[in-house]
Amino acid sequence: MAEIKIKNLHKEFGTGEDKVVALEDVNLEITGHSFVSIVGPSGCGKSTLLNILTGIETPTNGTVEITSDGHVAAPGYVFQAARLLPWRTVTDNLLFVQEDRSDETKKRCQRYLEMVQLGDKGDKFPGELSGGMQQRVGIARAFSIEPDVLFMDEPFSHLDAITARALRRELHHMWDETKKMVVFVTHDVGEAVELSNRILVFAKGGSLEDDIQIDLPFPRDPADDEVAVAKAHVLRKFEELDLLAS
Amino acid sequence: MTTTDADATTVETPANLRVTEEELARRARRTELTSRWFWRILSYIAVLTIWEFALLDIFSFLRGSPLDPKLLPGPSEVVSTFFEIWGEGTMPAAFQATLTRIAVGFGLSFLIGAMIGILMQSKWFEGFFKDAVLISLSAPGLIWVLITAIIFGNRPLGPTIAIILTTFALVTVNVSEGIKALPKDLIDMAKSFQVNVFKRNRQIVIPHLAPYLFTGLRFGFSIAWKVTVLTEVFSSSEGIGFEMRISAVLFDMSEFLTWILAFFFFALFLEKVVLEAIERRYFRWRQAVTAS
Ligand SMILES: Nc1ncnc2c1ncn2[C@@H]1O[C@H](COP(=O)(O)OP(=O)(O)OP(=O)(O)O)[C@@H](O)[C@H]1O
Ligand SMILES: [Mg+2]
Repeated sequence: MAEIKIKNLHKEFGTGEDKVVALEDVNLEITGHSFVSIVGPSGCGKSTLLNILTGIETPTNGTVEITSDGHVAAPGYVFQAARLLPWRTVTDNLLFVQEDRSDETKKRCQRYLEMVQLGDKGDKFPGELSGGMQQRVGIARAFSIEPDVLFMDEPFSHLDAITARALRRELHHMWDETKKMVVFVTHDVGEAVELSNRILVFAKGGSLEDDIQIDLPFPRDPADDEVAVAKAHVLRKFEELDLLAS
Repeated sequence: MTTTDADATTVETPANLRVTEEELARRARRTELTSRWFWRILSYIAVLTIWEFALLDIFSFLRGSPLDPKLLPGPSEVVSTFFEIWGEGTMPAAFQATLTRIAVGFGLSFLIGAMIGILMQSKWFEGFFKDAVLISLSAPGLIWVLITAIIFGNRPLGPTIAIILTTFALVTVNVSEGIKALPKDLIDMAKSFQVNVFKRNRQIVIPHLAPYLFTGLRFGFSIAWKVTVLTEVFSSSEGIGFEMRISAVLFDMSEFLTWILAFFFFALFLEKVVLEAIERRYFRWRQAVTAS
């Protein structure tokens, strides 16, 4: 079971006049089979938090720890932009992040490409695909290593509504099946309420302002009363924190 | 893109109509290609015809006195001289001498240029090398050719140094630009997926730098090629440039033009056949990027 522990996390970029505080004294614990959404206005440090959790950035102060059953957890990361190697085919992009190139691994990669409906595009270069298709390759790549924790940074925001809905369902199915942890960044409160059992609200300046539990059964229908109430509740929090304007 | 997008909503067209459409596109492509080649070949025919039948008269008119036909042989004579020289076997030897010089000189230049490009990522080394690079880029190659000819005579070191001085900066500039443009987002991606540093270098850094290195190679080579021939004209006892000098000194214009022709064809062959084949083979993904 995966576990994330964040203590007194502080992150700034630049020095002197250019100093930007991206995260301000964040304390947080996430355990087990959670689907956590992070919401907040643009520039409140959401991507920075994921970058620190996945080891791309280092904290200015404080500590983060991600473990799975006592050892260091393997993270999968779906970025805000697809981040594919343009000189490798789609299949090779998936194989790039694998530990080996065995037949079993190749089959697994193919299975996840099929999941994002790109089973026949394995031999294409990313430049030959549309932006939405590239984003889906990025999603398949993160899924294909079957990570202990899956980090996703607005993964569906560039996709058309129908594809996004199908992939949301797929993501949820996988989460349910594997009992893994998902940490999901989104701008869209409706999406957060539909998918997660916990919502973290960040404000400008990178402080964690609210931590909301949503204990409704899945799958959730946005038209459902209880779901609508939960969404209204989160939006009210946004209003209180004066986050809606941005 | 030739394949249809599986996600796009496609309007069903009857199978026979689709074939015609494809056929039409292919025909249009073929016509395009044929007409382009037609004009290209026509330009060669025009130049050769004028040269063979009218150039002597034109030059005589321009000079105000008749020009000795020996000083301006026509293409038919040049071609027959070409086969004569080819039969004597001097041509491969001359090419080998010249190409060896280029290989040694430009090989060294490439290594030195790349190394300076890497060093220039540090502020201090950038300051140190900046002006030297600028001078090498802007000074005419002839300067280095003359200086090295005077200092080294016909020792092999002369052309090598001339090549290095004229071409290293091209490699430096390209390598330096490539390093500055390293895709941090992709390297970060690989780090987050815990891809080790060797694999990151092999699959991200090197493929990213390859087109920059290739550009340096291509332009550097074309300059190295000219500079080498020039050094041979001034100070050497073998190679293409040397042969050109001998024929010029003997006023054997037919032979002189033959060497120029051979030089021209070889350069064309390298550019059109070898380099473009490399480009097609290794940079297919770039065509994908630019086409979309
Ligand atoms: N590498 C960096 N160098 C300097 N400043 C940075 C860097 N990365 C992020 N920042 C700054 O840190 C702050 C938080 O950025 P971050 O990308 O985490 O925001 P975000 O919440 O993901 O925003 P969005 O919703 O627009 O993606 C911003 O003010 C940003 O300008
Ligand atoms: Mg972001």
